[in-house]
Amino acid sequence: MRPARMRKLRAVILDEKMDNVVRELHEEGLIELCDLTPKLEDPEWADLLSPSTPAPYIRDVSALLIKTNRFLDLFDSVKSKDEKGLKELLNPTLPPKKRITFSSADEIISYGRSLLEKVETDVKELADRLNELEGRINYLQQLRRYIEYLIDLDIDLEYVKSGPYTYVVVGLVPEDKISQLKERIFSTTDNLSEVIEGEPVITSENERKVAVILVTLKEYRDSVSGELRRSGFERIDVSNLKGTPKENLEEIDREIRECKGEKENILDRLREMANKWYKELLVLHELLEIEKERAESYTYYGRTERTYMLEGWVPEKYVDRVKATIERASQGYGVVEIVEPDEPEEKIPVMLDNPKPVKPFEMLTEMFAPPKYNEVDPTMLIVPGFLMFYGIMLTDTVYGLLLTILGLFVWKKLGKVSEGAYNIGYILTLAGIATVIAGIITGGYLGDFLKQFLGFDIYKTPLALVNPLGDSLYIGESNPLFNLGSVSINNGPIAILLFSIVVGIIHLFIGLVIGFKENLEKKGFKEAFLNQGIWLFLIIALAVGVITNTPCLIGGAVVVVILLCMVKGYMSGGILDAALGAMDITGFLGNVLSYARLLALCLATGGLAMAVNIMAKLLGESIPVVGILLAVIMLLIGHTFNFVMNGLGAFIHSLRLHYVEFFGQFYEGGGKKFCPFKAKREYTTVS
Amino acid sequence: MVFENPLLLGAIGAGLAVGIAGLGSGIGAGIAGASGAGVIAEDPSKFGTAIVFQALPQTQGLYGFLVAILILFVFKSAPEWAMLGAGIATGLAGLSAIGQGIASSAGLGAVAEDDKIFGKAMVFSVLPETQAIYGLLVAILLLVGVFGNSPGAAAIAALGAGLAVGFAGLSGIGQGITAAGAIGATARDPDAMGKGLVLAVMPETFAIFGLLIAILIMLGMMF
Repeated sequence: MRPARMRKLRAVILDEKMDNVVRELHEEGLIELCDLTPKLEDPEWADLLSPSTPAPYIRDVSALLIKTNRFLDLFDSVKSKDEKGLKELLNPTLPPKKRITFSSADEIISYGRSLLEKVETDVKELADRLNELEGRINYLQQLRRYIEYLIDLDIDLEYVKSGPYTYVVVGLVPEDKISQLKERIFSTTDNLSEVIEGEPVITSENERKVAVILVTLKEYRDSVSGELRRSGFERIDVSNLKGTPKENLEEIDREIRECKGEKENILDRLREMANKWYKELLVLHELLEIEKERAESYTYYGRTERTYMLEGWVPEKYVDRVKATIERASQGYGVVEIVEPDEPEEKIPVMLDNPKPVKPFEMLTEMFAPPKYNEVDPTMLIVPGFLMFYGIMLTDTVYGLLLTILGLFVWKKLGKVSEGAYNIGYILTLAGIATVIAGIITGGYLGDFLKQFLGFDIYKTPLALVNPLGDSLYIGESNPLFNLGSVSINNGPIAILLFSIVVGIIHLFIGLVIGFKENLEKKGFKEAFLNQGIWLFLIIALAVGVITNTPCLIGGAVVVVILLCMVKGYMSGGILDAALGAMDITGFLGNVLSYARLLALCLATGGLAMAVNIMAKLLGESIPVVGILLAVIMLLIGHTFNFVMNGLGAFIHSLRLHYVEFFGQFYEGGGKKFCPFKAKREYTTVS
Repeated sequence: MVFENPLLLGAIGAGLAVGIAGLGSGIGAGIAGASGAGVIAEDPSKFGTAIVFQALPQTQGLYGFLVAILILFVFKSAPEWAMLGAGIATGLAGLSAIGQGIASSAGLGAVAEDDKIFGKAMVFSVLPETQAIYGLLVAILLLVGVFGNSPGAAAIAALGAGLAVGFAGLSGIGQGITAAGAIGATARDPDAMGKGLVLAVMPETFAIFGLLIAILIMLGMMF
């Protein structure tokens, strides 16, 4: 019930053997390395050790990694969209793993080099040409846009060039400035100029502009350029073009078509290359990433002239394995020391250690916060409560079956590639089974579907124990369960409410007992009694009072508890806190009443399902012919909606009861998760 | 009794249940939806997440609808004042959806930044639903006839029970604001979850007072 016990492992290893040790530890993945750098600030340590730098092969590895990424990006950009069919999406397959036998970074580097060389010879020419074509297409498209603006000017562009005495420019002018520009130009050039205008066009920036050709004498070039700049003239370069704009457009279109054709061709060939190399590049990428991580891990170690020292956390049960690994990998040139944790609690990493059937529920614990190293691991305690609450809140046999199927699917199919899906699927499957059980007890089969459509009232048969909306054969007006004081437990809702409250009190009691034990061990009896003991006393007094039917016992206990809370408040902060302490009992009451949501949500599912059935029946009966079709659609949509909404609600409210009410009694959390030094292999395997 | 047709007060109760709860849910879903639209504009793949968070404040409307159906079709023989009380309880408590909308929109914003916080944001966003659940709870208790045999005018006390839990349910708005803040804190520091929950549950105290008084009224009627 506690996180796995940890040991600190220290090892000093001969430098020649170090790389082998790092490699083996990385594959094994059972140690979390500690960074020694902060320790080296201590002068005593600094005398012995100096900081270490990344392994020398990191430069080659990083360079190759960049190159690999470039090729992968290229292939990603040309690859036709992976048609991941629905089938693949619903039933993903794991990528095949390649067996790897490299035993040193150098081998991987030389393998990477030769592989990248091969890829490069295959791809380089194509990639360069592709770049060139893309540049050309861009240029042509730009040019085409400009020439389109000139289409009105039916002039051979070959003549639109400056001659020995003339200066000619082509370009666009904003429409509203054209007349002003013309005036200015005529005045600066003494009317020795000509301006040819086209029709106004709307440019891609959504401005109205006019294409103009301006001809003037060379000596006016500078003054005219100044005028043009002032009026926002945009020059178009036509110096390499021949023929009219119309002819040019045709020519450009033809060339764009050609370029695109060639580009398609090249893309096809690149795709072929991608099929050939992509997987191998992924393998190489993974290998290089792993090497990089190894090389970088050296910054964690300290070094002497001929040795490295490493420090790390190892779960107690793996200590012997890790020790043996280090001794084997260093061929005896290493010393290993294992000590009890010598650091404060919050520095020790936390690894939850639950048996396999409970393991997926660790997700729920971690969602709140992983426990501190010396705290209780509440995962085991969550399981029964969570499933039971979920079942009670969803309470419908058919919804439960649906949920079980959904959960199995997520667990078995999607869970293959994602750990999160595996955990969720597992939890939902169990929650589904719990819902089926709760559904059978309360006789919920799509709400009251049987009664509405088949006229079969399950609550008049012995098949259902309790009716959340009224009487059943076992619990009803004529057949009350028992009388509690003067309240008769004579219908379904009241019975479920009583059950919810009792379950809530038991749940809180368990939490309080654990908290009491924890506090007793760590802080002594006084803390344990003030924080948990008071409420334990109250619950016990309540139980005894109800069983023996002595209300005055309960009343007395409540008064004692209020007084104790005031004492507790007074001890922590004087009179004001004492007054506040008296209110503690409402907090406790709130915790207990909060469990009443079990009834409310249980009834909400059944009630909404019934509402759907009623509406569908009304539709079916009131509209002829198509009514039946509408009723079926109503049933499908309505029940799906109800299932999703209440399925989600049951999950979160179940969690809430644990996080707020249950954890509030004993659990704080806030530990640091154990994060082992481990090679992530998705496309490769070493065994 | 005051009205000859017992379903008359029931009909008013059903209308209030759907109407007021629908108002709350509408505002809440609107607040969450506005945040959702912003998130989707940045990352269209978050559509599903946005829908889930927007669905949370809609449950209050559903509870209102549920109680209306229960009043009109199932507990037709319940005392008429209990019907009205049930409708008012569910309706007013349904206004907690406004708070839930505020919390959901903060939750959605946090999840848009970091997927991993989904579960935590969900837990916080669902806190202000407690008030609506208490309202639903009291409505059910009223309808199943804890007042079954009370004589005449005494049954009007059912209205008091409904008002108590209904108005106390407005504490959900405050709780939503606290929860939204706590989501922000948790997004910055995941370890703040436990303490954030303690703070966010604080405004619930008043909903519990309301529930307590409602239950006392009902018990008082029975003894």
